[in-house]
Amino acid sequence: MFNLAVLKDTVAIHPSNFGIPPEQALIAELNKKYANRILHDVGLCISVFDLSEVGEGKVRYGDGFLWYKTVFRIIIFRPFKSEVILGKIKNSEDGSIRVTLGFFDDIYIPEEWLPQPCCFDPNQTEYFWIPDCELTMRHEMLETPIADRTYFEKGDVVRLRVEGDEFTDDEPGPPKAQDGVAIVPPPPRQAPYSIVASMAESGLGPVSWWLGAEDNAMEEN
Amino acid sequence: MEVVNARSALLSNFEVFEFLREQENDHKARQKTAQRIKKEEEASGISVAKHVSAVEIAENVRTIQFEAIQHLSADYQPTRRQTETGITKLVKDLANYDLTKAEKLQIVNLAPTRPVELYVIVEELEDRVSDMEVILDMVASSLSTEPVPPTNGFSKLLPSESDSAGVLYPEDNDVHMVDEANGLEFDDTGEGVGVEGDLDKEDD
Repeated sequence: MFNLAVLKDTVAIHPSNFGIPPEQALIAELNKKYANRILHDVGLCISVFDLSEVGEGKVRYGDGFLWYKTVFRIIIFRPFKSEVILGKIKNSEDGSIRVTLGFFDDIYIPEEWLPQPCCFDPNQTEYFWIPDCELTMRHEMLETPIADRTYFEKGDVVRLRVEGDEFTDDEPGPPKAQDGVAIVPPPPRQAPYSIVASMAESGLGPVSWWLGAEDNAMEEN
Repeated sequence: MEVVNARSALLSNFEVFEFLREQENDHKARQKTAQRIKKEEEASGISVAKHVSAVEIAENVRTIQFEAIQHLSADYQPTRRQTETGITKLVKDLANYDLTKAEKLQIVNLAPTRPVELYVIVEELEDRVSDMEVILDMVASSLSTEPVPPTNGFSKLLPSESDSAGVLYPEDNDVHMVDEANGLEFDDTGEGVGVEGDLDKEDD
């Protein structure tokens, strides 16, 4: 889930913080800039781990700040491909289930990576799975008795396998001349970092399923 | 900003949890000290606009710290039942098996105690590992039965916090990590205490 990234940056320390030991002030300043933010192609920054190199603080013409060149290590959240992680179901919609880790909630499980056969129930707005069932058509599955269905309920703790991740750069580019002054509705905001995961494997899915059903799982294997 | 290395080393959940909790305790202790000093000053009638020991903690830092600690200390995670010595022993024991680094990391992170959990982590488990039960026992014995109390006093159990960083994966690219952890040891608590002591002298 977590790894360390080495970054290089120049940090300005405000004169009011000159009384604090410089490494503390630098770490506080770096955390302010990076913590809980996504770095493109790197991952979600959690917290500065330590400072590796710090140059001498220099004063520039124009402000009273002390500028430090630093190399530091930072804790990054970026699960690798095929890593198994635990999360909680945040909500479901037709097409995918969204899973949250508390500090990160752009994890999606598309329908094709749910245990099959499964189907979205629009009344409950939750997916359900029917064990040992031959049905494939959605309307047929929606007619099954509710007692046969196993729902992926909101708040369930699930085990999932990371299948891939994607970074989107949401920055609007420079305005183009031909656009003129026409007001274009902004496109829906996309998460800057999202993870696609799978539950379609024995052992994955709601953890509670596997607590009782362990013997069955062994036989399947 | 420049990314020198996007993935220089892997960290286990336990290491991150430890680090964040250490940081949180540190903040709390410093806040208390600052408050106490402020009170003393108010009592003695001296007013100081801003205190030197008061490092401002930005909102985003607090948020991610709190949420990550919450996730890692949840009931369904093994992190709270893990100890530094337990994990070190587990990793050493796992070295006898032909497992990849990623698989070992996941065994540490998820602490599988049931066969089905291990099947998910290790590919082609049956062909590669003959005595699966032994691994499960090893994992079970690395966990303490009692969850470690959630806050306060925990850091006192581990005298050298900076060591916990490098010990878990000594076999690979963490060689420099150990060196650095020992070389650049930023003992925040020590400094905090130092400042506090100095101020007390001034007050006298």
